[in-house]
Amino acid sequence: MNAWQLLLTLLLNTLALASLLAMLTVGLTLIFGIMRIMNFAHGALYMFGAYAGISAARLVDSFWAGLLVAPLVAGAVGSAFEYFLLRRLYKRDGGSFLLITFGWALAMSELVRLIWGSNTRDVQLPEILSGIVMLAGEPFPMYRVFLVVFGSATLFALTYAILRSRLGLLIRSISQNAEMTHALGVDVGAIRSLTFAVGCGFAGLGGFLAVPLITGYIGMGGAAIIDSFVIVMIGGMGSFLGSAVGSLLVAATQSFGNFYFPDLALVVTYLLMICVLLLRPGGLFGEEE
Amino acid sequence: MNKTALPLIVALAAAPLVLSGFQVTLLTEILIFALFAMGLDVQMGYAKLFSFGHVLPYGIGAYVTAFALLHGWPLPLAVGVAFVAVILLAVPMGWLCTRTSGVAFAMLTLAFAQLGYAIVFKWTSLTGGSDGLSGFVRNPGPFGFEGFVSREGFYWLTLAVVVGALFLAQAFMRSAMGTAIVAARESEKRAVALGYEPRSLRVVAFSVSNAIAGLAGALHAGFLLFVSPELLHWALSGHVIIAVILGGAGTLIGPMIGAALFVLAQHQLSAITDSWPLVMGVLFIAFVIAAPKGLWGMQESIRARLAHRKTNRMGVTNVAP
Amino acid sequence: MSLNRRTLLSGAASLALPAFIRPASAQGDAIKIGVATGITGNWSALGAQIQRSCRLYAKTVNAKGGIDGRPVEFIYEDTQGDPAACVRKTTELVESRGVKLITGLISSPESLAIMPRLAGWNALYLAPISGAGSLTSTAFVPNAFRTCTSGPMRARAISLWLAKSPKQRFFTIAQDYAWGKNSLATFEKLITDLKKETVGNVLTPLGTKDYSSFIARIREARPDVLYVAMSGDDATAFLKQAGQYRLSERMQIVTEVLDLFNTKPLGDAGIGLHGISQYNYAHAAPANAEFVRLFRAEYQDIPDTWEGEMWQTLEFLAQGIRRAKSTDANALRGALESIEIDSVKGKVTMRACDHQAEQPVFMARLDKDPAIPYPTAKIIETFQADAVIPGCRKDTY
Repeated sequence: MNAWQLLLTLLLNTLALASLLAMLTVGLTLIFGIMRIMNFAHGALYMFGAYAGISAARLVDSFWAGLLVAPLVAGAVGSAFEYFLLRRLYKRDGGSFLLITFGWALAMSELVRLIWGSNTRDVQLPEILSGIVMLAGEPFPMYRVFLVVFGSATLFALTYAILRSRLGLLIRSISQNAEMTHALGVDVGAIRSLTFAVGCGFAGLGGFLAVPLITGYIGMGGAAIIDSFVIVMIGGMGSFLGSAVGSLLVAATQSFGNFYFPDLALVVTYLLMICVLLLRPGGLFGEEE
Repeated sequence: MNKTALPLIVALAAAPLVLSGFQVTLLTEILIFALFAMGLDVQMGYAKLFSFGHVLPYGIGAYVTAFALLHGWPLPLAVGVAFVAVILLAVPMGWLCTRTSGVAFAMLTLAFAQLGYAIVFKWTSLTGGSDGLSGFVRNPGPFGFEGFVSREGFYWLTLAVVVGALFLAQAFMRSAMGTAIVAARESEKRAVALGYEPRSLRVVAFSVSNAIAGLAGALHAGFLLFVSPELLHWALSGHVIIAVILGGAGTLIGPMIGAALFVLAQHQLSAITDSWPLVMGVLFIAFVIAAPKGLWGMQESIRARLAHRKTNRMGVTNVAP
Repeated sequence: MSLNRRTLLSGAASLALPAFIRPASAQGDAIKIGVATGITGNWSALGAQIQRSCRLYAKTVNAKGGIDGRPVEFIYEDTQGDPAACVRKTTELVESRGVKLITGLISSPESLAIMPRLAGWNALYLAPISGAGSLTSTAFVPNAFRTCTSGPMRARAISLWLAKSPKQRFFTIAQDYAWGKNSLATFEKLITDLKKETVGNVLTPLGTKDYSSFIARIREARPDVLYVAMSGDDATAFLKQAGQYRLSERMQIVTEVLDLFNTKPLGDAGIGLHGISQYNYAHAAPANAEFVRLFRAEYQDIPDTWEGEMWQTLEFLAQGIRRAKSTDANALRGALESIEIDSVKGKVTMRACDHQAEQPVFMARLDKDPAIPYPTAKIIETFQADAVIPGCRKDTY
């Protein structure tokens, strides 16, 4: 493999990883942008969605069924939680949100083990996604190509919705000034709930998309929370573009970093975050708090 | 408040005389975690600095104590040197981290804690790597003093340190600097106008908080006689934050009770059911809904309501709670 | 004024008191075995294997009247793999519940944390999983025994097998923690001793999700054989991704730990994978046939590595107790040293000098078995104990 081939391989790996990370992070960004809460249960939702998707896929023997069910189930769980519990805390301080989402994460992770058991669970990829594509003379998994395509398409659709649709406009205006938007007669509560549900749905989607790479296992949510918090921070809280750029940056750091400096693999992402935060405390695209 | 404190301290001091060996062990562990949480409250409750990396000073305190004990230093000296080491590291780090605030501060402290974890994990020759360090004991001294070598003795040492630290922290928060820290967080502009430097005040709060955590870590090493990278894992940072919120931030005592409850809940629930994380999670959720100001806030509002009722009975009306 | 304070304090106290009350043990003369393992949390998959074996063992043995007429009672505690929690739980088991026999610990730090305390407790610990070489060398204590195959033994067996192969170039990927690093060092030394070439190695942090860069590095180095010293969920993820990158078309992949846990998710794509099958369901030993039969009847599946290893541990314990006619630590320790049992791996002996069980190590290849719906490990070579076991109190060769 010459230098160009290597570069191409690493770039493609970066894109695939970035897509995965972006799916994971975009939900958190949505929730933080509009509700200013860091959802501690993001990782648990990621895991719950993954397992639900796996069950659905196995039931009807279709990967695509899982892809559909995972975000729906995670969104439904998030929606229910918001409606019955989270809603009562909007007048309170941040500590309450931390505690309640922490409790939620604890309960949900154990619930996954109770429902599905502690063995790893897996899903079969459909024919078209399980092959390889020869790139630069080396096999590149079709599934990663799918991740790039699907990820970009989803992000694109989401950005379009946020920027062009009326709902997106309302979401943006609520994140900038909730009071004023409410004063204009908008049902802020309903939109908040919807956004929260969508954010949770994305977490579940991210989880299911990761299954063909890492399988579904108890504890898959744990590392996911930290990764997504870091990316949100680097990109800038509440900024969509920030999540996308943050995902790319972190993916690039990990892909290239792990290749050239595997010794630093554990720390390279944190070093990146420290640099970003010391130079731009609000993240690359965020506003200073 | 001192009226509650004294009988409680006496009760705790007398505990080893009535409780079994394991119960003393559990109580020691609770006291150490309570100290850890109280330390976090100094920066989180008073200075509103939300640290997600509180395990870093804790872990450093533990490892330095472990090194010292492995090299034959007497326990009090080992704890002392760990305390100093943590402070020396906390000041520059605090200066760096307080460049930011809010969530950025939280993430910076997390990043440093993760770096600490990585260093401890990978520097096997120094820290034992993932297997950690073991094989050290509570060395007697100085002057051959052996009081803390036994389980009960160490418990009393821990109790003394924790009570002492609490009183000192309370005195500090009541002092000029302590009130300045709170003032600076309430309104930076006014604090500056009064001649304070909010940034330095935050660094002080950070350092004090870290010092207390380092002390807790040192005690932990002396207690468990084993240190491993798990001490620096981010999940533990999360647990201590939860303990503070549970007990009520900004009260110093609240977080200690929150910490005790956290450990006891885990212990109790795991005896009743395998799925204790589920029960604990549900309990936390219920708790947040029911007690917005944490445990300490809850008892304060109960006290206020009872006082109100008392004054009503005396025939006074329209008294503000 | 003091009413509410008292209420608060008594409320808190009443939460604390039951902490210290425990249900009394069911039977007075039962043999109590403490199992401090990962019931919930990240280790729960392995902990589930431990528990399955223990429960089946209790059921089977007690149906036959127990060990020497005494029923066996397992007490399970959840450590979530955390050493501090492990110390707490085992302390409680020993001091509050009178347990003197401990097993089931999963991670090496947990084992290392409790081993120094065993003497003071007058309790014995039998390690069914911890593969770290230090357990029977630098960290040795008389009250601890390791009944399973150790990491160095596995690495040794693989290098012996590779000595016969014409392949020359080796690359190692290992998890970046004590066991992985130890395996890496052991393996590379053995390879250089064989006058073959190590073309590179890479250590991966625990919890790594994306292995694409590491795979790229491996491809760059162009080895003949890739040695994988990984276990658990990380190993599953790596093997999956390596399969997706068609790595096995370029090189032979040999893994130190060939567990069904890791290979089931690969499906048929895993066929051809070589590795050490520490415990093998198809090994022809009478005790094994019986164990597999019982296991399938109870759980409708074949036993995996740790289920088999746990069973072997319990067999050692039972035979030791029968031989010593007691569960007293001193008597039992003496009885266990040099004991030979008919285990699920055949005849296995407990070496007296460092408490490492001397046992065969199986080199296997993942292949289809008509009786099982997924590919399983098929033994292709058996290495006898004396060929693979390190010297007394050593973890190097």
